Amino acid sequence: MAHAEGLPPAPSALRRSVGLATATATSAGLAFAAIDYLGVVSVLVYAPGTTAAVAILIGGLLVLLVSGIFSELNGLYPSAAGIRLYLSRAVGNRTALSLTFTYMTTIVMVIAADAFLIGAAIRHVLHEPSALAYVWIVVLLGCALAANLRGVRLAGWVQTIVTYTVLSGTAVLSVIALFHAGSAFDKPMNLFGKGTFSGIQAVAFALFLYAAFEWVTTTAEEARTPPVITRALFIAPVLIWAVATLFTLAVTHLVPFSLVHHSAYPQLLMGKAALGTVGELWMLALTVLTALNTFNGGFLVASRFIYAAARENNLPRRFASLNMKAVPWLAVSTLAGASAVVAAVVFATGQWLLLVAVGAAIEAGIYALGSLSLLILRGRETRERPFRLVAGRPLAAFGVVLFTVLFLATGLSDPKDASRFSLAPIGVILVLAGLSTCYVLLAVPRLQAAAAARAAAGRPRRRPARAAAQSDPDAAPRLDL
Amino acid sequence: MADWDELAQALADYTVSCNTNERLRKMQRDWSRILHFVCSDNATTFSMEVDHGEILSTPAGHVGTPDIIVTTHSETFCDMFWGDLNPVQKYLRGEIAVQGSQEDVMRLDAISYVIWPDV
Repeated sequence: MAHAEGLPPAPSALRRSVGLATATATSAGLAFAAIDYLGVVSVLVYAPGTTAAVAILIGGLLVLLVSGIFSELNGLYPSAAGIRLYLSRAVGNRTALSLTFTYMTTIVMVIAADAFLIGAAIRHVLHEPSALAYVWIVVLLGCALAANLRGVRLAGWVQTIVTYTVLSGTAVLSVIALFHAGSAFDKPMNLFGKGTFSGIQAVAFALFLYAAFEWVTTTAEEARTPPVITRALFIAPVLIWAVATLFTLAVTHLVPFSLVHHSAYPQLLMGKAALGTVGELWMLALTVLTALNTFNGGFLVASRFIYAAARENNLPRRFASLNMKAVPWLAVSTLAGASAVVAAVVFATGQWLLLVAVGAAIEAGIYALGSLSLLILRGRETRERPFRLVAGRPLAAFGVVLFTVLFLATGLSDPKDASRFSLAPIGVILVLAGLSTCYVLLAVPRLQAAAAARAAAGRPRRRPARAAAQSDPDAAPRLDL
Repeated sequence: MADWDELAQALADYTVSCNTNERLRKMQRDWSRILHFVCSDNATTFSMEVDHGEILSTPAGHVGTPDIIVTTHSETFCDMFWGDLNPVQKYLRGEIAVQGSQEDVMRLDAISYVIWPDV
């Protein structure tokens, strides 16, 4: 239940609110995108065979620490703008804005990656020329854009059904694959077979499988009770762990690593190996279904962030322009355009695993920042919250160190070759962060100054003078005529 | 701290501004909601019934089951309903708290933005 700082909680209950099943589905659905199937391949690069499952288990345990940290932060700032609020309180407004802009670029990457992967999967199943994959990408993004511009939203129950269908469908086919005779597990307990650092990288990439599960905190304002979000944050990673582990074991069991390593659709290869064409179509259907959650949730979160930033004068006001469906059309269109460009670059270069590495590194970085925020806010915030992490300070300090190491581990990894380092992932992140920082330092002050000048030259206050004398200092200036 | 009379005056002006804005009425024609408001400083409560974008009533107290609950200081409510402050800035600072779906929160701000685009 949202309440402003120092304000009492509102007494009423909402007519429509989000319960545990929906919140858990939202969390798991945001995390389990088509790119997760590729994420498994990235884990397999560093942890061969069944040891990938060990990495995913360790990653899951670390994610439970993230659940605790974000639960407490969400309890302090139960708002869709929560990340801005606690980062602002912890590291200052400008830094928070810069970090949030960088974070939002991951949404563009995930949308682009999903569009690319689904396009590639459809093209593969239809046996079309590879060039047609980009046509499918444009069609998918076009449909998502049109639906968003028309204000079409997936109802909560549809989102719930889609998520549980994707999770259970992947798990069931994986179990069928595991019972498939004639293959064997490979290299048990070889997590550190390529060196200690490869084990750390395997865990870092395993974290990516859970990435974005914490976005469920943006629905805190519609949760039936505060513990709903906390419980979802702890249950969703368990579901993802179970499904990702089964899928990893199934892929390891049935498909040679050399095949999945260079494929943009390992799930289709596993499906085909398990059940032939039926299995392939089964996995294709699930892959397409993941797009519903990614496009629905991704566009919604990112476009509303852009709208709010424009209304706050941190982006040009044009980005807050609304169409007749009350949708910020320029924000949505820009997102779709940016996603199409990123997808085109991935399509042209074939660097889809680089997207996984960048996404994994940014996510680890966000977990480190979340830990740092909690560490700082533990000393500043004395308010009661619905969830308080036991041993919060030492665990948050541990989180800062751990997730920073994992950030570097993924940021410096070559996503295709475990024996090599690469500056590409961290280079991409530094460019994104650099652009965000330059924008916040150079462009935002100008926008703010222009807004202040507009307000000063604008209309006088409308509120009658007697009452206005004691009103909010943020209110528009009154012109004494 | 604003009393109920000041709030009622602000709400009356807000109602007229909303109901006479054709673009807003068209934009919100599929939006029917009950809103509850809570003043955190003086415990004043009031409601707003919106039917297909038209504000039907703004009675004191809480009426019906809400789709959205907004909580902030009474002065902030007054300034907001007079169109003298930007609700998003307050919201992003945690000074206005809203319960409700993201879509409804967005629609609520859209009302202010359409009526007073210069704020």
